Amino acid sequence: MAATSVTQADSHPKARLVYPKLTIPFILLILCFAAWGSAANLTDVLVGVFRNIFDMSNFQSALVQFAYYGAYFSLAIPAALINRRYGYKTGVLTGLGLAALGGLLFIPASRLLQYSFFLLALFVLAAGLSILETSANPFVIAMGPERSATQRLNLAQAFNPVGANIGVLLGAVLILPNITSEAKKTIMGPAELRRTQESDLSLVLGPYLGIASVLILIWLLIAFRKMSTPAEEVQGEGSSGALGRLWRNRHYRYGVAAQFFNVAAQVCSWTFTIQYAQDVVGVPTEHSGWYLQASLILFLFSRFLMTYLLGKFRPTLLLALMGALGVVLCGIAMFSLNMVGLYAVVGISLSLSLMFPTIYGVALQGMGEDTKFGAAGLVMAILGGALLPMVHGRVMDQVGAALAYAVPGACLALVTCYALFDLRTNRGGGQLVAEGAHH
Amino acid sequence: MSKGQYRVGHRRSRLIPVLGAVVVSLLLAGCGKDKPQVTVGLITKQETNPFFVTMREVAQKTAGEDNVKLLTATGKSDVDNASQVAAIENMTARGAKGILITPADSTAIVPAIEKARRAGLIVIALDTPTQPGSAVDALYATDNRKAGELIGRYAKAKAAGSDPKIAMLDLAPGITSGQLRHDGFLSGFGIGPGDPEIVGSVNTEGNKVKARAGMAQLLKAHPDINVVYTVNEPAAFGAADALKAAGKSDRDVVLVSVDGGCDAIKKGIRPGIIDATAQQYPENMANKGVEAIAAAARGGPKPSGYLDTGVELITDAPVKGLPSKNEAFGVRNCWGKRP
Repeated sequence: MAATSVTQADSHPKARLVYPKLTIPFILLILCFAAWGSAANLTDVLVGVFRNIFDMSNFQSALVQFAYYGAYFSLAIPAALINRRYGYKTGVLTGLGLAALGGLLFIPASRLLQYSFFLLALFVLAAGLSILETSANPFVIAMGPERSATQRLNLAQAFNPVGANIGVLLGAVLILPNITSEAKKTIMGPAELRRTQESDLSLVLGPYLGIASVLILIWLLIAFRKMSTPAEEVQGEGSSGALGRLWRNRHYRYGVAAQFFNVAAQVCSWTFTIQYAQDVVGVPTEHSGWYLQASLILFLFSRFLMTYLLGKFRPTLLLALMGALGVVLCGIAMFSLNMVGLYAVVGISLSLSLMFPTIYGVALQGMGEDTKFGAAGLVMAILGGALLPMVHGRVMDQVGAALAYAVPGACLALVTCYALFDLRTNRGGGQLVAEGAHH
Repeated sequence: MSKGQYRVGHRRSRLIPVLGAVVVSLLLAGCGKDKPQVTVGLITKQETNPFFVTMREVAQKTAGEDNVKLLTATGKSDVDNASQVAAIENMTARGAKGILITPADSTAIVPAIEKARRAGLIVIALDTPTQPGSAVDALYATDNRKAGELIGRYAKAKAAGSDPKIAMLDLAPGITSGQLRHDGFLSGFGIGPGDPEIVGSVNTEGNKVKARAGMAQLLKAHPDINVVYTVNEPAAFGAADALKAAGKSDRDVVLVSVDGGCDAIKKGIRPGIIDATAQQYPENMANKGVEAIAAAARGGPKPSGYLDTGVELITDAPVKGLPSKNEAFGVRNCWGKRP
């Protein structure tokens, strides 16, 4: 649950959203939520763009996601340590600074024309965003009365998909339509190819410099704004034996695995939507980004629909149905090599939309004092987003973009199995743990 | 969790206007075309063939990006010379600085082109050369001989270890592009005209129905045919129909072609009906053509000579030692109807 004590009188029937004078810092943090959404989903566009610019395999281009989500995974614990030792404001500033540095590293990377430097820049950017996310969630919760904590967090998190859509929009409008076609490159000499590579990489540089500029701006506004950080909570280190208890809890153990495969399915589906549109259906490069945009918009609206349906049906029943739907859609994508297949790829986002919060809540249900520790494991399941896209890329190199959708299909099948496991073992009802509520 | 209380200053944030400025700057990046406008004409053979539709679409896109006013015209068929002559006169009168043309009749169009050039226009032939070639300033076209060579080398490698019995499904006598593809194939296969490995040839005019009939006729006389050269993809599909009707599977015969249209990549290369095709790029003809005339009109060098607009071997069953691209590349770069 949220904070245990409040220092502000909140005896009004309706608690205020944030403490007085914290409106601007709250807005700034909301911008942070949008910023990491933008960066994360612009990365989905980058995979296909780098494949074109560096003329590389799908496996090699998927290293973009390995760098990005690998950084998120690696920095989760250091980020928590920074928050604990130096406070949330320091955590937010460290995250913003590191992420901005990552954005700025795109400048030398685009001069050197080295893919590995772009991976390094992405790693630094994602490392910063990981710290930022870890700090910003509890920071937002602590910015107002306990009673409005969930509302506050939901409001802030609502800007994450908005940012995600902006990220894809940047790619769809500023990068993809202006990338040099492969047909043009077939008649270029080495010198002209290099010039083309430079100009194409400068297209990539633009949006990242824009994101870095926004992050620096937010950094300045937060750094020079006088604000005290909330007193740090006493960490639940008294939960000795938590690891053992968690491991013995099959709902939790399988839940972490399900979350791993859910994140994997999500990142795989979105990472390779553009390639599916281009390679299988023949959608021109300049239009291909719109299908990823459609996926994210569908994801966004489905979340509202699922929120409503979750109030009507048992969550794991919905999870099982949506997982099964996702498997069917992946099957259609594999064998309908036309617009129907592409619509199926877009439709996978419908099934994905309820998975993260539902698995999160189901896995942590009834965990008591182990909830916080257990939540860390579920968040770290983001590793699936780093590893499985490389598998997807490798399969795609062997059997093509369509059949490679067997990879997210298998991931979604495993998520479905988790839902069926929960339904069969019937733990009874009870409220699910909401994402972020353990902070 | 316990928490403290925030104390904040009273400064008003100017965040929104600053962010607005950043976004506007980003959106404006890449704009700002300040080149003088140039008028360029594009005359294609017809509008039903997706090859020419792609050419027009790319020319329009390039024109839009390069501040070029593009005039377009097209004939009613592949042999409609009269419409092309009228289009040249019309575009000259409308102040075009240059014309890109795919000649329907390589010889009959020459007087009209010469008249336009005397009026100061630059003329570039796209895809099809004029007779004589010197009638135009430049030719931007596929190296048809190279296209033939690529599929010839591929067919040779695929047929290795067997006794090749080759069927040649040609275009028609006297058409340069067809002859160059034919010669290139023989060269790539390592044989010459009249080689005993060639068991028969038919002229298909690049037509599916005629190719099917021609292939059926050849199969009747030579049921052991195991290599089929086709001058273009409609002919390849006609040949495939006849092979199927004769009870031959895709694995029994090496079927190669030239063009790289979207339909052929998806319905021919993808299922393995056509083993390989040499993909050509009307996109490059149109794009380079518009750019060259616009640059010359703005004081740059005048286009001249021949520009190879590129050709790539597309196959999902690559052979060792012969560079090729896969079907996905073919789909991304094919010409024709796209979603």
